[in-house]
Order: sequence, then C-alpha cells, then structure tokens
Amino acid sequence: MKLEGTQTISAPREGVYRLLSDPAVIARLLPGCEKLEPAGPDTYEVKMKLGLAALSGSYQGTVKLSEQRPPEHLRLTVTSRGPWGFADGDGGFTLSEQGGQTTVHYAGELKVGGMVASIGSRLLDGAARMVIAQFFKNLEREAAAE
Amino acid sequence: MKRKEDPRLIQGLGHYVDDLSLPGQLYAAILRSPHAHARLRKIDRSAAERAAGVVAVITGEDIRGVLGTIPVAAALPELKVPPHYPLAIDNICYVGEPVAVVVADDRYRARDAVDLIEVDYEPLPAVTDPEKALEKSSPRVHEQFKDNQACLWKIEAGFPDRAFKKADRIVRQRFLNQRLIPVAMEPRGVLASYDPGPELLTVWSSTQIPHLLRTQIAAMLNVPEMRVRVIAPEVGGGFGSKLNVYGEEALVAHLAMKLGRPVKWMETRRENFLATIHGRDQIDDVEVAVKQDGRILALKCRLTADLGAYHQLLTPAIPTLTGLLMLGCYKIPAVKIEYVGVFTNKMATDAYRGAGRPEATYLIERMVDLVALELGKDPAEIRRQNFPKPKDFPYSTPTGVIYDSGNYEATLKKALELAGYKKLREEQKKLWKQGRYLGIGLSTYVEICAMGPSSAMPAGGWESGTVRIEPTGKVTVLTGASPHGQGQETSFAQVVADELGISPDSVIVIHGDTQAVPYGIGTFGSRATAVGGTAMFLAVQKLKDKLKRLAGHLLGVDPKRIEMGEGKLVVKGKPKKSKSFLEVVQAAYVAKTLPPNFEPGLEATTFFEPSNFTFPFGAHVCVVEVDAETGDVHILRYVAVDDCGNVINPLLVDGQVHGGIVQALGQALFEEAVYDENGQLLTGELMDYAIPRAWDVPRIETARTVTPSPVNPMGVKGVGEAGTIAATPAIVNAVVDALRPLGVRDIQMPLKRERLWALLEARGS
Amino acid sequence: MIPASFEYFAPRSLEEALQLLAHHGTEAKLLAGGHSLLPMMKLRLATPRTLIDLGRIRGLSYIREDGGRISIGAMTTHAEVESSELLRRRAPLLPETAAEIGDVQVRNRGTLGGSLAHADPAADYPAALLALDAECVLTSQKGTRTVVAKDFFVDMLTTALQAGEILTEVRFAADSPRTGSAYRKLHHPASGFAIVGVAARLTLDATGKGSAVSVGITGVAPKPYRATGVERGLLGQTLDAKRIAEASAQATRGVEPLSDLQASARYRAAMAAVFTRRALAAALGRAQKQG
Ligand SMILES: Cc1cc2nc3c(=O)[nH]c(=O)nc-3n(C[C@H](O)[C@H](O)[C@H](O)COP(=O)(O)OP(=O)(O)OC[C@H]3O[C@@H](n4cnc5c(N)ncnc54)[C@H](O)[C@@H]3O)c2cc1C
Repeated sequence: MKLEGTQTISAPREGVYRLLSDPAVIARLLPGCEKLEPAGPDTYEVKMKLGLAALSGSYQGTVKLSEQRPPEHLRLTVTSRGPWGFADGDGGFTLSEQGGQTTVHYAGELKVGGMVASIGSRLLDGAARMVIAQFFKNLEREAAAE
Repeated sequence: MKRKEDPRLIQGLGHYVDDLSLPGQLYAAILRSPHAHARLRKIDRSAAERAAGVVAVITGEDIRGVLGTIPVAAALPELKVPPHYPLAIDNICYVGEPVAVVVADDRYRARDAVDLIEVDYEPLPAVTDPEKALEKSSPRVHEQFKDNQACLWKIEAGFPDRAFKKADRIVRQRFLNQRLIPVAMEPRGVLASYDPGPELLTVWSSTQIPHLLRTQIAAMLNVPEMRVRVIAPEVGGGFGSKLNVYGEEALVAHLAMKLGRPVKWMETRRENFLATIHGRDQIDDVEVAVKQDGRILALKCRLTADLGAYHQLLTPAIPTLTGLLMLGCYKIPAVKIEYVGVFTNKMATDAYRGAGRPEATYLIERMVDLVALELGKDPAEIRRQNFPKPKDFPYSTPTGVIYDSGNYEATLKKALELAGYKKLREEQKKLWKQGRYLGIGLSTYVEICAMGPSSAMPAGGWESGTVRIEPTGKVTVLTGASPHGQGQETSFAQVVADELGISPDSVIVIHGDTQAVPYGIGTFGSRATAVGGTAMFLAVQKLKDKLKRLAGHLLGVDPKRIEMGEGKLVVKGKPKKSKSFLEVVQAAYVAKTLPPNFEPGLEATTFFEPSNFTFPFGAHVCVVEVDAETGDVHILRYVAVDDCGNVINPLLVDGQVHGGIVQALGQALFEEAVYDENGQLLTGELMDYAIPRAWDVPRIETARTVTPSPVNPMGVKGVGEAGTIAATPAIVNAVVDALRPLGVRDIQMPLKRERLWALLEARGS
Repeated sequence: MIPASFEYFAPRSLEEALQLLAHHGTEAKLLAGGHSLLPMMKLRLATPRTLIDLGRIRGLSYIREDGGRISIGAMTTHAEVESSELLRRRAPLLPETAAEIGDVQVRNRGTLGGSLAHADPAADYPAALLALDAECVLTSQKGTRTVVAKDFFVDMLTTALQAGEILTEVRFAADSPRTGSAYRKLHHPASGFAIVGVAARLTLDATGKGSAVSVGITGVAPKPYRATGVERGLLGQTLDAKRIAEASAQATRGVEPLSDLQASARYRAAMAAVFTRRALAAALGRAQKQG
C-alpha cells in the first residue's frame, strides 16, 4: 500500500530534522513503541504494540535510518513481525521550511503479510491513517516541547 | 422422491470428520508461511516443544526422505513437476505453505504452541501475475527450472490460418477468468489412527476420492496399500476442492503412526482460503474469424493459466478441458489453441465446479455475443446459425471430442419462449429510452460430463458398483462414486428399486469406506450417475438374470419367460403364475433347490468403462437491470432449460441446477481471490471474499428437454456442473447487453458495482 | 479459529461487573453478544486474558419511553430493537437500521451496546445514533457520565469509553410530529456491513420547511459522522426532491473517504451522495405522509 502525504509542524526545519533522526525521539514517535535499542549503525531493534484498539499485538522488529541529508531528507525503514504476520514500512521524509513552519512530505510503502494482510485489508487504510496521524501528533508534541 | 439423506442431515445426525473422536486422540495444528516466497533459514521449535500439552513438533527436516511428495496425476508433454512436500523443505513458494506441525493433547494447546515456533525466513521476490511470470526478468518460483512456464499444450485442426484469411471480420477479445475459492461448507479435516495389532492405518478424511487417496497415502507413507483403510464419512461439500490428495492427509497419517495415538486435524476457514485448492485463473486471448452472414469459420485462443506454485492432483490438466470444450455448441470447423501453464507464488489451482469447462463456455458464449454485436445481429440468431443440427450427431469437434447426442435448437427455442424473448427485447428498447438499463443475456452451452473413458483421463475413468440382495430381500448397494452432497443415496436406490420391483426404502447405498466398497474412482466431473450409476445398473442386471433363472427353475418354466413384477417374478402372460421376490431371494441363500451350476447368494459387481464422455447441453436466459446510480445488478428473471438426458430424480436435478447457477452468479458478480503483488491473499476470509447469500439469489425457472445419451444404457448424461458452466456467461452477457447503449462491449468479471458504476459515470449516464 | 485461553466471569449484577472490570483492568474485555469479539478472538486478533460476560445481568436489556425520551439498555439485541412496537411508532429509524444488520442469527445475538462499543467503521447503528442525536450513558465505579454520539465515536474501533467503564444505556428524543426518517445502505457483498450507510431524520414545520434535519453516515470514513454540509443545505428550506439532491452532493464534505477492495474512495464518495439522497427522499415522503 502506498502512503503519501504532507504534514505541517510548527517548528523550524533543523529542529524537526533533529527529532526525526534521534532514536530516542523515534521511540516516542512510533505509536505503540515499547523499546528501541541500538543494533548496528543507524539500526535499532524495536518492540512495539501494533494494531487498532482491541486488536493489537506485540511485534518485534527493526528501525533503520538512511539517506540522511540534514536538514531536508531522511528515510525510515521499519520492519516488524508478530504472531499475525509482518508489517514493513519504508518511507522518505522531505522537509521544507516556510515562515518558521516545517512542511514534512512523506512518501512510502507499507507491506503487510500473513493474517494482517488477508483479513485486515478492509481496515488497513483507516489503520494506516491512524498510525500516521498519531506519529505526526507525537512529532508536533515533541517539537513543542523542544 | 425426496432425498433419503436429508432427515439425518437436517437433524444433525450425520457424522463429519470433526464429529468423530477416538480414545487418546491428539490434535495437530499447522504453522503456515506468511511469506509468498522465502528461504527457510532456521526454525526454532524449542519453546513450542516445551509448551504444555505438546507431544511433538515436526518440520520439513523430519519428513525429508520419510514422506513422499504430493502426487500430480496429470500427464502433459514436458510438464515441469517441482517436488511438493507435505511440509516445506528449504523453500516457501506461497503464503499458507505448511512449515511445521504441532501435535498436542488438545486443539487449543496445539494452536497455542504454533505461535511459539520461531522461523527465520529470508524473503525472496515473489511473482503473482502469470504474464509477468513469463517474462525473462521475472523471479523464478522454482529455482531449479529455467523459467516459470510449467507446460505448453497445443491443439490445431481444420486450417485455422486459412480460415482467418477468408474471414470477412475478425473479432478479438481478452477474457480474464478470475481466481475463485471453492469454500465448501465443511473445511477439510483428517483423523488418522494406527492399530499395531492388525497393522492397520485408518484415515478418515473429508474427501471426494477415498480409494485414490488410499493408494496415494500408501505410496507417500510407504505402507502396503492393503494396510490402509480410508473412510470418507459425511462430506460437507467439495466442488472439486476435495478431489485431491493433500499434504495434511499424509502428515496426519504419518503422525498417527509415529506417535502411536490417533491424530486429528481440522482445517480452519482461514487455512481453507489459503491452502485448499483454488479454481479458474485463466487469461484467454481469443479471436474468431466470421463471415458477414454470421458463420464462424475458426477460433484461435492463447490460454495463459495461472497454476500457482505447485501441482496438486490435476492442476495442469484442468485448462486442457477448457481446450477440448472451447468451440462450445457451435460447428466451428477450425481451431488453434495454445495453452501455457505458469507457476506463480500462489496456492495451486485445480478442479473447481466445472473445472475448465466454465472457462471454455464463458469465452465462447461471450465471443458469440461479440460476433452478434459486431454484425448487428440478434445473439439468438447467431447461435442458431452455428449450431450443429440433430442429424450431425454424434458430432466430432476439431478439438477431438465427440458430442454424443444433442438438439441445441430445441432447448434454445424452449428457453426463449419461456422467457418471452421477443417481448423482452421490446421492453428493453422502451426502458433504454428512459435511461434504464435492462439487459438480456443468453448462454447456450454444451459440456463434458461422465468423466470419462479411461483413455481420456489421467488415471482410470471407470467406476465400480456392487449390488447385494440380502437374505431378507433388502438390498445393499456399494458404489465407488463417493458422494458428498449430491444425493446418490437417493437416486441409486431409486434405480435399483425400480429394476428389482421393490421399494427404494428397502435399498441402502454404502459409499466412502475402502474396506466396505470395491475400488472406485469417486464423484466429480458429473460422472456419478452416468458412470457409477451405470456400473450399478449393470450389476443389478446380472442379479436380475440370476433371479429370473432361479424363479424359472422354481416355477418350472424357461427363465426367458420370467419378468420382474412389483415384489415378484412373474411368468410372462400368466400373471397368476409367480414367485414373490422374497421367496426367490431366500431360495438363493438357502441353496437347496438351485438350478445346476448356479452360484448361491445374490451379489454382483460391475466395473463400468464408458465408451465416451456424455455431453449435456442447454440454454439459459438471464434478465437484469443495472442500477444506473450505483452499478448494482438486479437479476429480474432467470430461465434455465437443461438437457441432461434421462432424468432419474427431478428434485435432485433441479437442486444441482439451482446450486450451480448460484455458484456461477458468485463468479459473475462478486467472487474474486485477490493476491497483492507480494503474494499476500487479501481476500482471506468471508468478510472480504463474497460468496452469494440467500438474498442474492433470484427465483430460478427451470425446464428440460430430454435427449438421451447413447453412451450408457440408462441414457443419462450428468448435471452436477451444468448450472455453473452455463450461468456465468448468461449473467455477464445480460449485463453487457444492458449497458450496450453506452457503447460497452465487454466488462471484466466479477461485475463489481464500482466497475459498472465507473462505466456509467464515464459515459455520462 | 481457536481462541487463546481466557478466564471467564459471568457476573449477576452491574456492580459485580464493574468491580471485575476495575480489578482486571485492560486485560479484561466485556462480552455482550460476542458477534464482534468472538470472531476476533478465534483469529487471535484479540487475546483478552479475562472475559466478563454481561449476558447474565438482569436489567440491561429494555426499551422504554419516559416523557418523550427513549432509553434502551445496552444489552438489547438487534432483533429486539428491530421488532419493538414502541420504537416502530416513536423512533422508527432505529428498527429500520437494526433490520439491516447482518442476518437473523447475528441480530438474535448482537447487542446495541456491543455494536457501539466495538465501533466498526462500517457498522450500521452509529449512523442512526448520530441522526437521532443520541446520548450514550457510560457507567463506572465512579458513577455515570453521558457522552453525545458525536463525541462517543473517536476513531476506527475507538470510542470515548475509558478503562473501567461500561456502556449501559442509549437515550434520545422520540420523533416529534411531522417527522420522517429512513436508513439506506449499500451492503458490502461479502460481510454485509455498510459500504455506505445513511440514516436521515427530518421534521417539517407547518409550511413544509425542514425545521430539523440530521444525517448520520457510516462506512465512508474511519468514523461515522454527521453530514453537516447536507443538513445546512436543507434546514429552514422548503424540502423537495431537487433541493435534497443538491444538498446530498455535500455528503462527504470535509471527510476523506476510505478505500478498500470493494470500493475506492471515489466510489464511496459518490455512493454517499446517492444514498444520502435516497434516505432523505424516503424520510421526506414519510414526514409528508403524517400530514
Ligand atoms: C456474520 C456477521 C455479520 C455482521 N453484519 C453486521 C452488519 O451488517 N452491520 C453491523 O453493524 N454489524 C454487523 N455485525 C456485527 C454485529 O452487529 C455485532 O453483534 C456487534 O458489532 C457487536 O455486538 P455484540 O453484542 O455482539 O458485542 P461483542 O462482540 O460481545 O462485543 C464487541 C466489543 O464491544 C465491547 N462491549 C460489548 N458490550 C459493551 C458494553 N456494554 N460496554 C462497553 N463495551 C462493550 C466488547 O468488550 C467488545 O470489545 C455482524 C457480525 C457477524 C458475526
């Protein structure tokens, strides 16, 4: 599934970039993230609770940062697997600034497999939107706290 | 006569696999791959093995060299056959492929432990589009083969190229016959038990083919066949999906032997979607050469069949049936077909109600409508013009089959009359003017039934039947055609009772147990009555001869002068001179006053080998209205006139026609197994995969013509799949016809509302 | 199809249920009709450690009217709503909606409270609750609070229910005179849920103008919503087919429709307009019939 969109964060670009590339912050941005630990260069192991309200399960996986070109671009690759299958997200973030505000354009792909794919397709669109909205809400909050 | 099966089924007194339990029984649960293509790097089962109640966990490594591969019975030139193990060894090729089996003391704990198995998969690129799979750059499903082409099969006859040169018009169209999921009401299930004393392995399986399964289990487990007993108890539907030998059947049998305890496995609905065979999935690129006057001179088709990752029992053979039937009920003198079978990272396709024939009928019936459209003629007229005439039968088609008997014009005439075709066309014109979309769809079909002569089948096309008159005059029939909902217990009892002049209530039909029933092939391909029924019919003739001989002896007259009466054997022309049926039967068993060289007892078996398939046919008319705002299709009328030869039980025939039409409606309007490009099955549950519900089904008006088959003595043909074969194009033709004012000439199945809405919207309705 | 193990309680009173809920916290799930929860448990998409069955509690299943206000207990089944004489007379929108849910078996087991608490984005009831301006009564050990339907549905499968709370009742005003309502639904061919479900209720004043118009839409967006754009276009206007058609074009104003295998966002939006128009037209006809 393709994911693409634009969000505006009320903070300057440098700051937003710093947040997006800081593993400690990423742990707080990813909805349901319970643990994030280094596991190699720009790679982290994660444990997270993924899903929708009552329908959530524990996943293990990795988060990888790449294509880092501060302060305008970076790429985040998340892989996760759990009892229902797997969910892998891969997306580039492009940041631009206007009047002290940062516009974050994201474009990526979500791949799900196993049970999540075969019985969740009806809810996938909405669920992805929820996760993305939560991610940016968290980012906004982090930016405000800076 | 009502179905003898129903009282017990309706009262919940039937026994399906999951109703059976044995002392000490264990349960198996299967871990399946979430990846469509991957290498198995490592499997850690230690946590699962330690879990409460777990007795064993096995993986592909444990069966390497122990269990044989899953058989494929289809013989095609240069067929590539990848080894297909009951559990994946080294590689995964589709989502749902079994990776490990947990056996535990109850099904909950078995299932719990499945989640504790850690599998390290190395995902590989997958391919799910059969045409992409044929490209050079495509990932290969099986690395050992140089490409994904599984087989290539061709038919050419009657100089098609020449015919195309002579054509006034050439009509072309591509049809996608989408992948379907059979969804039998009862999923698969296996219970196996090994008794070390008699060294007997007993396997209860929800199968259509108990004897073939027994042979194959013996081979896969390397156990002598006489030490294997397979029982198909009550089977809750199959539609071809249980005309197969599955890895789970071998695995469960193997585990029961290995662990020394009975093991049961019941497929979940989710597994049923992922790992029971799928149906259809063909791309047909068709062109026909036509004369201005409407005569069709030749047909060419390139058929690309998505076979999935592995072969199941008949996988690559199914599209060959499409080939054989592709010219439908038309006298088309030249043909050229090229069928390419392709491996993809999906579940295998195989026989699903109609098995190759719905695909053929769909494309030819759609094509004939397109020809009519192209020439501005009435679709009924084009059909009539190209039918073979009654005097042409038996009619040999360029594809190499011989249609046994037929009168196609008569069925079409009857169907059009019943539907009020002329009036409907007038009505349609009026409604079109009001911006309403009424459509009338025809489908005149012929199909191949009574599979079939052994020469044309992968392995054995005969059937066995045994009739035993018991000492009390009651009758036991044993049939190798193992029914699973069709109603043979009723129709076979009727035939035997009729022949013997007794009540059907005195006859029981036993099936499905390899220890009770002589070797048989099974119920599929609309063969049970025409082949299995004939075997039984011939067996009962042997008994009739015997009874007459004995009665003649008892009455002191020439047996030739004896005939069967109601409950008695009578001397012809002397109704008072008779012996009751029971007296004669008892004499055969008491055996004190037998004619010379007369064997005591009354049991006879026949193995019947048919000389040809049978070819039922019919004409269906469907009337629809498409909601111009939503794209919703409303079926207003459905008229089905079928000719399946002589009819034994009209209720059963109507039931088969109704059910078949409903399944066709599913394919025409909403069923579709959707895989994404990574090989994930997106329609993995009944929440997403739409099968017809009661409220989707229109009233179906049925009627018949009767053209007996010369191929068997009862003159029967078969009707198990006719509805499915006929109705899909009838419905699609109706919808396309409805939207004709918009310039629509074809719509891809399923005719989802959104698809129709988009057409309506684009053309500014 | 085999759920994970769980502990099961069948409290006999609401107090006992609340106590159990407080004690077991987020590991516990309430069980009502089980027709959303059990399928998820069988697939192990939900693995609650504890189930608290509300089925044995007396007094959670009722439909009554008191001074023009109707209240319905959370454990009232879809079938009871569908067949309620009181509702058919006083708020026919709800029985009409209930009749569109699933099949007979589902309606015999499923409950109003369960459907609302589950908050499936394609469930039918939410559209009607929004159109009825209903209130949800949430009860916890701390007492009760009331949340209006609009605020009850927070997001996909997410409601305003907090830990320790049970949805106990739904309340709304019975229809006033010259009120008509209708529920119109485009069924998902597989699940039977709503691809689009529109509940409309409108009241006419003496001159035939719409004095109250409400439209609730389900299935289209991650959560059910009130089509305020449509309502604004009709309020205070003389209602007729043309006006309704115009206003219905606003059915998805301000929402981003969902997209799935059965319906793209574009199709959903178009159908939202069609079914809004159909629901409103039917509602108008019924209001006018009341003379
Ligand atoms: C085959 C099928 C078809 C269906 N078709 C439709 C349809 O067309 N339209 C439709 O709208 N629905 C449909 N449903 C869903 C059905 O209406 C469910 O019954 C309903 O969604 C849930 O109600 P329930 O009483 O079964 O709740 P349950 O399944 O028992 O519970 C659902 C959720 O709500 C919570 N809960 C239950 N009661 C309360 C309460 N009082 N307070 C707080 N939380 C509570 C539970 O903990 C659980 O999380 C269908 C279901 C099935 C199985």
